[in-house]
Amino acid sequence: MLGLLTPLAIFLLQETAVAGKTSVFSAAREGAANPDLSKFLVVGAILFIIGVAGVLTRRNIIVIFMSIELILNAANLNFVAFSQYLQATGKANAVAGQIFTVFIIVVAAAEAAIGLGIVIALYRNKETIWVDEIDLLKW
Amino acid sequence: MTLTGWEAVFFWVFALAAIFAGLLTVMARNAIHSALFLISSLVSVAALFILARAEFIAGVQILVYVGGVMVLFLFVIMLVNVSAEEQGREEVFNKQRQVTASLIFCLLLVVGVLYAVNNGYRGMQRRDAESLAQADQVRQAEEKRYPRGATGTSRLSNDSERLANSLFRYASLPFEIASVLLLVAIIGSVMLARTLKQEVSADDVDPETLQDEVRRDPVLAELQQSPLE
Repeated sequence: MLGLLTPLAIFLLQETAVAGKTSVFSAAREGAANPDLSKFLVVGAILFIIGVAGVLTRRNIIVIFMSIELILNAANLNFVAFSQYLQATGKANAVAGQIFTVFIIVVAAAEAAIGLGIVIALYRNKETIWVDEIDLLKW
Repeated sequence: MTLTGWEAVFFWVFALAAIFAGLLTVMARNAIHSALFLISSLVSVAALFILARAEFIAGVQILVYVGGVMVLFLFVIMLVNVSAEEQGREEVFNKQRQVTASLIFCLLLVVGVLYAVNNGYRGMQRRDAESLAQADQVRQAEEKRYPRGATGTSRLSNDSERLANSLFRYASLPFEIASVLLLVAIIGSVMLARTLKQEVSADDVDPETLQDEVRRDPVLAELQQSPLE
């Protein structure tokens, strides 16, 4: 856990130290007191990586599906944060990111319905939901 | 879009809640606990959406994800027997080597993604320096102009209105396609989740497979002759 958190802390500090402050820590404190787009992106990235770790390490196919939902949700967070940023700077169609998010939620719902249907059919035929026992397509 | 004061406090509370609930989703032994932690993570992310002034998306997130998808997940978890893992007889994660490899991969991803985010954001800050300087004043002035709610304690944002305008002006074809996608998903999941009996009574089984199954379970033959309504 410490190994995971250290590079994180380093990057959080490094990123907030850009503004030309003398002390890294005071800059970091200021950045933390006023979270902006980059903090949303960092939270999204961390959620994404947690989801990837879940997909790669878990054996239970339902938990893998939940990790995929976590990944999609991290993408949603990025879209919404960028949409808010564009709104603030007035560079482009400000709510395009939110429209994308709506479609991602639709696709995630469809994917969950189909995926869980497959899980039920699989459980009926193979009596297992462990991914390392589901190897019908292995040559 | 800098958050200040209490908004900043709430941002960190919900960000940490989302991250820790996400971690516990991946680490929980019991799949039901996983689902409940995922629900709290999704609700926290919905709160972050509200802080990013996307109220409509936050509502959709809670209605669709927490109200729809997660209930579906909980139903399936309860239909499928997963007791071996929670009683501690089975390992939760895959083989040790795979776990190590994927954790190393994730660590590299952390470093890479955060590096990219920081560099990219620095560039964007440089590019948008002048508009960013005014952005917060502009937004605060705009929010002052919103009408008050019926109770008078808060203001009503026009987020849903803008989203709807934009959705139907620029994305009405994808919107229709999404509805077809949902229809396909409904039909597909009903087809997939049928039992053999239901398939036989709908006369939707391969004849050779049916012969095998009838040999094993004679009840199926009756179903085939007098299909269920």
